[in-house]
Amino acid sequence: MTDTLVKLPQGFALPEVVIEYRDVRKQYGEFVALAGVNLEVRRGQVVCLIGPSGSGKSTLLRCTNGLETMTSGEVYFDGMPLSKDPRKTRLIRQRMGMVFQNFELFPHKTALGNIMMGPMTVLGLSEEQARTRAEALLAKVGLSDKAGNYPANLSGGQQQRVAIARALAMEPEVMLFDEPTSALDPETIGEVLNVMKRLADDGMTMVVVTHEMTFARRVADHVVVFANGQIVEQGPPEQIFDAPKTTRTRDFLSHLGWDG
Amino acid sequence: MTFDWSIIWQSMGALWQGALVTIGLTVLTMVLAVPLGIVVALLRDSRLKPVSALATAYVELMRNVPIILVVYWAFYVLPILTGVGFSPFLTGLVALVLNNTAYNSETFRSGIRSIRKGQTEAGLALGMSEGEAFRKIVLPQAWRRVLPILATTWVTLFKDTSLVSVIAVGDLAHTALQIRSQSFRVIEMLTAMAAIYWLLGYPQAKIVDWIHRKYGVTE
Repeated sequence: MTDTLVKLPQGFALPEVVIEYRDVRKQYGEFVALAGVNLEVRRGQVVCLIGPSGSGKSTLLRCTNGLETMTSGEVYFDGMPLSKDPRKTRLIRQRMGMVFQNFELFPHKTALGNIMMGPMTVLGLSEEQARTRAEALLAKVGLSDKAGNYPANLSGGQQQRVAIARALAMEPEVMLFDEPTSALDPETIGEVLNVMKRLADDGMTMVVVTHEMTFARRVADHVVVFANGQIVEQGPPEQIFDAPKTTRTRDFLSHLGWDG
Repeated sequence: MTFDWSIIWQSMGALWQGALVTIGLTVLTMVLAVPLGIVVALLRDSRLKPVSALATAYVELMRNVPIILVVYWAFYVLPILTGVGFSPFLTGLVALVLNNTAYNSETFRSGIRSIRKGQTEAGLALGMSEGEAFRKIVLPQAWRRVLPILATTWVTLFKDTSLVSVIAVGDLAHTALQIRSQSFRVIEMLTAMAAIYWLLGYPQAKIVDWIHRKYGVTE
């Protein structure tokens, strides 16, 4: 049984499967980005999506909260289909945090201001409440001393930690990460991965598109390998990294120089 | 040829009144044409084809027609269209706002487009509506980027307000030219007019330079 903040009526539990992708297809003109993907993400799981560039993993992640529209298929969140109705989509987005490759912090706001914006605009928190929440989250990502800094005066790693705190400020059920360390200098990748690791240890449900195989190996509960818009293999990290069943997976891993 | 510069001192009160009208006209035009410019910029990028086509037609018309023509047009056509007699000041204001809104909409459109899509997506991902993301994230950033261009537009507008003198708005140009034709002190009045425009315009131009230095895009 999962801990939830809300007292649920007797016999009612949030579904075990948080996100379900059912035959998701996405086509850009002739190009098929996703060729019918079926996948389940369970509560508390860390699912890593790996595979070569252009294999569709980021597209699938962006379909999860409706930033990308699907050509066909369905995504369910807590059993609810992602709707065409923008109001329902907004409600679902509030419960899914997203972290982008290029951070996308708001340059006209301080680190603290970035984190306060969601709760104040969307959840209607007062400035006081939002500030308290933002300060706690900055402490959680180890950046209390940078509260007043603008993004331009933060390193890449620090910006991405603020971006994670910004997403967490909405108290989401799920966190989506779209190549969160791809735009970082090698020396700051570790600090971001550490924050993500702690988040996973706290039981957050996470879907992570990543090229960090060490992270996937250590943190993921479930690894999904993409190629040409399809899932070519999925399973626990031990299987994927130590005993891959398909040539596609082996080719991809050996291409990365992965030697277990 | 003899000069009688005393005409300037004698007309000081009237010229001051005219200068106030010019300044008032500039300020009011900008106060109206900036928000309207944002609205037209949004209409141009509207998903509804007829709406964007109409907005585009308006902008292209205003950008390619001399302001003085718009001033005359407003003077003769506005009363017919509305059935109400407009004061010269209001007529001049309408003409200048029509013209400036078009220019400002182009300015804002380029500013809005310069903000990358990921910024809006970051807002949407937090659960904001498109409108909230625009107001809280895109507009404040676009605003800083277009401020130098708006400042330049301001100074141009300040001088262009003189065009409304053709419909007898009591602005600085009209007042000075009026005194000129009553006193026949042509050189004196034109010199005074130039001096006053320059004295008022120069500090504005300096402020614009400062805005360019402070907010000019350097990334």
